[in-house]
Amino acid sequence: MSSASLAASEKGAAVRIDLLFLGLALASTSILIALVLLDHQPASAALILGGFGLGIAFLKAEFSYTASWRRFLTRGEAGGLLGGLIVIAICALAVVPVAALSPKFGGAIAPLGPSLIIGAFVFGVGMQLANGCGSGTLYTVGGGSGRMLVTLLFFVIGSVLGSLSLPAFLALGGVDPVLAPDYLGPWGGLAVTLASIVVAAALIIAVARRRGATFIPSRSYLVGGIVIGLLCVVVFAAGGHPWSVTFAYTVWGAKAAAALGFDLSQFAFWQWPGPKHALAESVLSDTSSLTDFGVLFGAVAAAAATKPFAAAPWPPMKSLLAAGIGGLLMGWGARLGFGCNIGAFVGGVASGSLHGWIWFLAALPGCLVGIRLRPLFGLSRE
Amino acid sequence: MRSVYVVVVLLGVAAILVDHLSSPSSDRAVSPEDFAGACAPCGAPCPSKK
Repeated sequence: MSSASLAASEKGAAVRIDLLFLGLALASTSILIALVLLDHQPASAALILGGFGLGIAFLKAEFSYTASWRRFLTRGEAGGLLGGLIVIAICALAVVPVAALSPKFGGAIAPLGPSLIIGAFVFGVGMQLANGCGSGTLYTVGGGSGRMLVTLLFFVIGSVLGSLSLPAFLALGGVDPVLAPDYLGPWGGLAVTLASIVVAAALIIAVARRRGATFIPSRSYLVGGIVIGLLCVVVFAAGGHPWSVTFAYTVWGAKAAAALGFDLSQFAFWQWPGPKHALAESVLSDTSSLTDFGVLFGAVAAAAATKPFAAAPWPPMKSLLAAGIGGLLMGWGARLGFGCNIGAFVGGVASGSLHGWIWFLAALPGCLVGIRLRPLFGLSRE
Repeated sequence: MRSVYVVVVLLGVAAILVDHLSSPSSDRAVSPEDFAGACAPCGAPCPSKK
């Protein structure tokens, strides 16, 4: 028997621990940590553990960028959106000055151009169809959602297709990254970054007020935002760059393709030094993969510690179709848009990079389109 | 769905193990941004470098 009722809460509701999946999550995490420690890489172990904490925090707080953006767009409710800005503000306090002052660290930067805007827009459509974004896909897969397993599979496929498309879209033109600390120094850059977050929060609150909706973050978004923000700082300290999610998917897909006999190394994207190195080296040498593994197993552990894991039935086929299409669009969009809501929006804004805000402004209308398409797949617009 | 998850987790961990044991490892984990000329988290070059 894999599930055992081990204790009862004060209110009398039984807390059931799924020993099989809790054991699988802890054993898998331990194996990965042992492997990187055998290679004398304590920072890699810290990335796995940081991701593990993020998986727990996202799942327990039910911290959803997708749902909170949808609630804002459909009802004007801004609490979730503001919870997301708390994450960015906390992360920025460390990232902007440290990345500017220490050559061992760097921010999340990206060029500005058509590729960024198109990618973010398509990602926005996909996240509403899939019902999860980059981080959301990870922690809901870890939480036991079979539907999101489908999303993850197609996210990986889409991101590989995106890697093949990106050079052509970059050829459309663009300008180099615009980074606040480059112009204003570490502390001036931090001040401008925090000010931009305050201005965005004020605008979001104004919209919520005009629509007669609430804008106070719930307790879970407030506490979750603070904890996730602090863990983002841990990941930054261990990895040297802000947390990113989707590059790992591209590497996993490319390695799977190689195993199936498709050699991607001839394509332009895979000849750039970073991707080339990631494709050739162990997946445990990639910071994005290490954190993602941690998030997945952290969420599995958190879910299995409280109830029977993955006990829900499979959703209807139309819902699975939306999950697949959404995953495909997010994967492709994430590569063209230089990341997801974590790597591009959270990481970008927290680095003082203009591309983070442009990504956000392009992804929002994409979300509107995605919300309009949801009923076609039997999904609510709410 | 539980059985699917068991298979996915076991296959996933096995794939990581095989990949790790059959591939070289860096002195430390890296991001594509760590490489010279990288202008994005995926390692894309800057427009000005073209």
